[in-house]
Amino acid sequence: MKTLSPPVKILFYAILVLAAIIAIYPIWFVALAAIRPGQRLLTLNLVSMFIPAEITWDNFNMLMFEKPFFTWLKNSLFVAGLTTIFCVSLATTGAFAFSRFSFKGRESVLVLLLAIQAFPGVLALIPIMQILRSLGLFGSHWGLILAYATGTLVFTTWNLKGYFDTIPIDLEEAAMIDGAGPIQAFIQIALPLARPALAVTALFGFLAGWNEFIMAEVMLVGKEAMYTLPVALNKLAGDRTVPWGLFASGALLISVPTLIVFLSLQQYLESGLTMGGVKG
Amino acid sequence: MGVSIRGWRKTLIIALFILPTILGVTLLSLYPIGYNIFISLTNRSRFYMQAPANIWECVPKTPRFYCWNEPLLGNYIELFGPLLEGAALLAWLRFGLLFLPLIITNWLVSRTKKQSLSPPDTWWWWLVSMAASVAMWYVADVQGALNVLMRANDFFVVMFRTCLYVAACIPLFFIVGLIIALILNNDEIKNKGAWRTLLIFPWAVPSYITALIWQFFFRTEQGLFNQVLRSVGVANPPAWLQVDVWAFAAVVIINLWLSYPFFMTIILGALQSIPADQYEAADVDGATWWQKLKNITLPLLRPAVMPAIVLSSISTFQMFNTVYLVTDGGPIRGAGQPGATEFVMIYGYKTLLRGDRYADAGAFAMVIFILLFAATLFSLRMTRITKGAYE
Repeated sequence: MKTLSPPVKILFYAILVLAAIIAIYPIWFVALAAIRPGQRLLTLNLVSMFIPAEITWDNFNMLMFEKPFFTWLKNSLFVAGLTTIFCVSLATTGAFAFSRFSFKGRESVLVLLLAIQAFPGVLALIPIMQILRSLGLFGSHWGLILAYATGTLVFTTWNLKGYFDTIPIDLEEAAMIDGAGPIQAFIQIALPLARPALAVTALFGFLAGWNEFIMAEVMLVGKEAMYTLPVALNKLAGDRTVPWGLFASGALLISVPTLIVFLSLQQYLESGLTMGGVKG
Repeated sequence: MGVSIRGWRKTLIIALFILPTILGVTLLSLYPIGYNIFISLTNRSRFYMQAPANIWECVPKTPRFYCWNEPLLGNYIELFGPLLEGAALLAWLRFGLLFLPLIITNWLVSRTKKQSLSPPDTWWWWLVSMAASVAMWYVADVQGALNVLMRANDFFVVMFRTCLYVAACIPLFFIVGLIIALILNNDEIKNKGAWRTLLIFPWAVPSYITALIWQFFFRTEQGLFNQVLRSVGVANPPAWLQVDVWAFAAVVIINLWLSYPFFMTIILGALQSIPADQYEAADVDGATWWQKLKNITLPLLRPAVMPAIVLSSISTFQMFNTVYLVTDGGPIRGAGQPGATEFVMIYGYKTLLRGDRYADAGAFAMVIFILLFAATLFSLRMTRITKGAYE
């Protein structure tokens, strides 16, 4: 490859710096509001929209020790964790079968799954609530987990199926000739090889459970002890006089786990998404 | 797999692997669709709210109880009817004329490419046809035609605006994602991992938080943009969220910020799978940077990027959270009219569901569903065709 000429190189770095500033700034802005005294998100002092003038930890203190923050955190971890587990286990088994077994109606079920994705989610809320109510899961965390896990299932099943398709079948066949059953071949051979796509599946499951608030707000209405973090945060923002400092510190605390999960799975993200071929 | 398992054991194992998925999807995805079909055939609304004791023996127009609509497809007719009447049909025709030059050019280009071994450069044909399209805008009075259709009913208004939104967003996502991915894929850029980490932030932070934050940047008085604009001497910066065009631009900008990391990631992954010898061979032939991009990079990106574009188009079409939090569908021009950023999902939620127009909402959802379903199937066929290029 030819080497870059200095002006081009400078231009490239300039673009990267600018893009990075734009990418980070809104989060920096939240951090500023969280450590600023008072409950204001905006100030008319332009400089303090970029650099903190005064630092206080009051907002974090208030959120953690005057509000039931740790209860909300526990609820959120429970919901997001179980959503991840359900999502990964359902999607892997389903995707493996779609990739490895041939059976009647396989193609049509796959296409049907994809088509379901096209249904406008917001308008499905009412019937989903109905179903959960008749299952006796309305207003419980289990209902949310069920709804979130199945909501992400279509994408993750397709993505994983695409990934399994790229793994040569020979290894599993060899194992089965050596006497392993299909379930053993699945767990011991296919799963470890599909690690990047599994990481993506887990990521999507976790995000679905950790971030959703519209359904959770309707289901958990009035039950403050059962709120997940996004619901609690959204309630704060819905107050008449919004305590923005408090909101900002909560937003920051909610974002930390997703950032950690994202950055630690980042190495798998590219191959886990691209190799799947059809990301439907 | 087809190795040692047969018969009932095979059936059992397949069932074991697949049934949980199928059950979950049926329960929480197929049922809502079925329920929506049912509701869309009734007259359920504010005045006919409660379920009748027996839907098969209900009496139409009994106060408080809903029943089958008369005519049964009435809600659908309400949606489409006004768009298929005399003046509206003519307006559709005029609207179609806008695309005529482009369609003709496309046909001509593909014909010449097939016929000659060394196809001529056709880029200026496209320029001419675009100019012709612009001329057509005035000749056929497309603006007037659109106004006719928009007056016909809300359905066209929100569909048109949503399509415009998708058409504005997707190319921007792709171009920004491509530029950053190309830079990050260059071997002479140092600390790639760190840059990538910083640039993926918008994807990693919950979008309902960042959308809410962005809304503050666009405020007229205290918003960041206008404070910066004022400090560099712009006396009257736009009232972003109060003016139709600027509000539209604002939700495009926010969505760009939220979505480019996904494209960047996909494109980076695909770029890394392009073999280096392709570029080396092109360098030997003295190809320019632009030629390499056009003839090697873009065609080889296609199989990986097409599905991302389709997926992203569908989710942009269905965008709800972000726009709802930022503009709430506004700015609104008059009572009973959809706001300037009232895209399909916002309309379905705000105007129909919150207005207790359940049956209308059901029909609306079904139409959107069928349209997106068709688009999904179509794109699936397209990506299947291009898939071969990867291997």
